[in-house]
Amino acid sequence: MAKDAVSDMLGAVQQPIEHARGLANAHYTDPAHFAEEKNAVLFSSWAGLAVASDVPHVGDAKPLTFLGIPLLLIRDRTGQVRVFQNICRHRGMILVSEPKNIQGAIRCPYHSWCYGTDGALVSTPHVGGPGHNTHEAIDKSTLGLSEVRSHVWFDTVFINIDGTARPFEDVHANLIARWSIFDQPLHHGGADSRFVLDVQTNWKLAVENYCESYHLPWVHPGLNSYSRLEDHYNITEQGCYSGQGTLVYRQLTGEEGQVFPDFEGLSDHWISGGEYVAIYPNVLLGVQRDHAFVIVLEPVSLDQTCEHVHLYYAAPAVDDSLRARNAAQWRDVFEEDIFVVEGMYKGRSAPAFDGGRFSPVMDGPTHCFHDWVAGRIAAHRAR
Amino acid sequence: MTLEQALLDAHARHDAPALVGLYTQAADVTADNQAACFYLTQAYVYALEQGDPTATALYDRLSSQGRV
Ligand code: FES
Ligand SMILES: [Fe+2]
Repeated sequence: MAKDAVSDMLGAVQQPIEHARGLANAHYTDPAHFAEEKNAVLFSSWAGLAVASDVPHVGDAKPLTFLGIPLLLIRDRTGQVRVFQNICRHRGMILVSEPKNIQGAIRCPYHSWCYGTDGALVSTPHVGGPGHNTHEAIDKSTLGLSEVRSHVWFDTVFINIDGTARPFEDVHANLIARWSIFDQPLHHGGADSRFVLDVQTNWKLAVENYCESYHLPWVHPGLNSYSRLEDHYNITEQGCYSGQGTLVYRQLTGEEGQVFPDFEGLSDHWISGGEYVAIYPNVLLGVQRDHAFVIVLEPVSLDQTCEHVHLYYAAPAVDDSLRARNAAQWRDVFEEDIFVVEGMYKGRSAPAFDGGRFSPVMDGPTHCFHDWVAGRIAAHRAR
Repeated sequence: MTLEQALLDAHARHDAPALVGLYTQAADVTADNQAACFYLTQAYVYALEQGDPTATALYDRLSSQGRV
């Protein structure tokens, strides 16, 4: 009975928007559903883990955790960003416990097996007894670090934990083409252009809130004064991404009239507007003529989400005070959303909530996301 | 200070560059080949970790003894 009821609810989500309900409470509050969602949604797709700017130099290594899995983000000797499971192939010790630059090899702190930045096992000291560093039973060529499939796009490091997703360029061909004009260097604004917001909510609610503009006049009245609701349009790409665009983007201007430099070769459309999309499952992106941003939503647990915000510019160095103002302005906007995503999370404990309804006009992007999640879960259950 | 004390101190302050030199020295002064290979291994691993160019020479010494 329980299982049927659950499947029915997924069916209700996948109805046309006029009749659809949202995902049921259990998808936000029940640990068993969260465990199922890990495999069905987060491990089987291209999930955002970090940004490549987290490891700017060759040898930079940063330990991270994704849904409990210890991972190591590293820029190898050739400059390629890679992701490994952060464990030694010997006895499973955590290899790197704090961000550092690997000058030569990654040395396990336990028995000092050493790995190259490309993951190859290069030394197994004393493995054949003191001073004997080989043993016929230990074939180094088969004991490299376990690499996690990864892909960098828009400076974002996406990972496919279970290895089953189609190539990133296939899955996201549509958005890559849509934003191809921004396929040019994105310069991270540096220390003042990255911040983290810890939110007591399920990660999906942060996606849902981000991709619709319906709430702008109420939650962001300041933003709405120059980014008006009527200037927005919905973006819905079934199964891939959804969000909103604005026809009118107003540049931030300094006291002496200074502005950020534009990205190169923009069409009129991009000179006047901006777009903001959630690329499923957990990355929120924004592009405008003179800067862009990436928000990686880290699903820490069922009810905790860490939002890692990064701002990017068209030039390696931009006006300091303007850049600081821009970061502060975006922080204000993203903080204005916190009470909503936390409030909706609390609301998911009300038994009478049936998943809610969608405005057929305003909530298309949100429903698009729900429909995708429901489809992934249904497909997982059918397997 | 004895070599042993110097090694303990270097370990205590996680001074990998010093460890390379001290373990190499330990290998050089012992008459016992078995012990020398142990010390060379220690020196080699710390050199490898830091990308210290002496790693190559240390590797070659171990290799000549059939130890890598
Ligand atoms: S656990 Fe890493 S060397 Fe033993
Ligand atoms: Fe918002």
